[in-house]
Amino acid sequence: MVEYSRDQLSQVLAAVADPTRRAIVATLARGPATISEIAKPFPVSFNAVSKHMMVLERAGLVERKVSGRERVCRLRPRGLRRANAWLEQYRQFWEDRLDALENYVASKAKERRDLNAKSK
Amino acid sequence: MPNQSETVRIRRRMPAPREVVYEAWTTGEGLRYWMCPGDVISAEATLDVRGGGSFRIVMKTPTEEHVQTGIYEVVEPPAKLVFTWTGSNHPPTRVIVEFLDLGDESEIVITHEGFTIPDIAKRYESGWGAIADKFAAYLAQHHGQNQPRR
Repeated sequence: MVEYSRDQLSQVLAAVADPTRRAIVATLARGPATISEIAKPFPVSFNAVSKHMMVLERAGLVERKVSGRERVCRLRPRGLRRANAWLEQYRQFWEDRLDALENYVASKAKERRDLNAKSK
Repeated sequence: MPNQSETVRIRRRMPAPREVVYEAWTTGEGLRYWMCPGDVISAEATLDVRGGGSFRIVMKTPTEEHVQTGIYEVVEPPAKLVFTWTGSNHPPTRVIVEFLDLGDESEIVITHEGFTIPDIAKRYESGWGAIADKFAAYLAQHHGQNQPRR
């Protein structure tokens, strides 16, 4: 189910522990961008953003591709997905409900069988 | 960028004919019973099961109250239900429930779709932020033990 190792998870957690990096992830969610584009709204230097980007890259959340003279950064949906506890919460939500549903329908089915047996 | 979205799919064999399982999904009595496992102490369900009809489920835990609402898009007794799923804490998604006939038993397939990457990323910013903050606090505490007190 959850396909990341403990190491990867702690890398991801460490990566998003920083508010600037979380904001970078949110920026890239709107589409790929170069480091200078990403750096613009932040009160930190190009180099600082570049360092943040390396942390995100190591955690598998972001990838950089050379495009002409610039390097374009984009989110790695797979990385995001694999590290996404949020979706797993939904799976768990339905699994828990299905456990309860299973018990409920089993008792309902039994009621039906008993009723049928009586009427025969 | 193509419109990527994520899906959660779950299949489960049910020890009852599909009519019984379908009824458990489409009556207030059924929903109230099985929608509240775990720490949910009470659940209220109001539903109008027909195409375009809406539902509202209020789940209470000792500390929180979750409200789920949605609109039925497809109602095909006893085989299929499609409804939107909107919660107070997440963007609207869609749930498809298929009830497969296996005689005295049945199988249920839940497909919860429409988690878009930007939405996930947004959640990521807030939801993961909270987790990451806890993690950072944990790290600080544990590493802090080896450091001189200020």
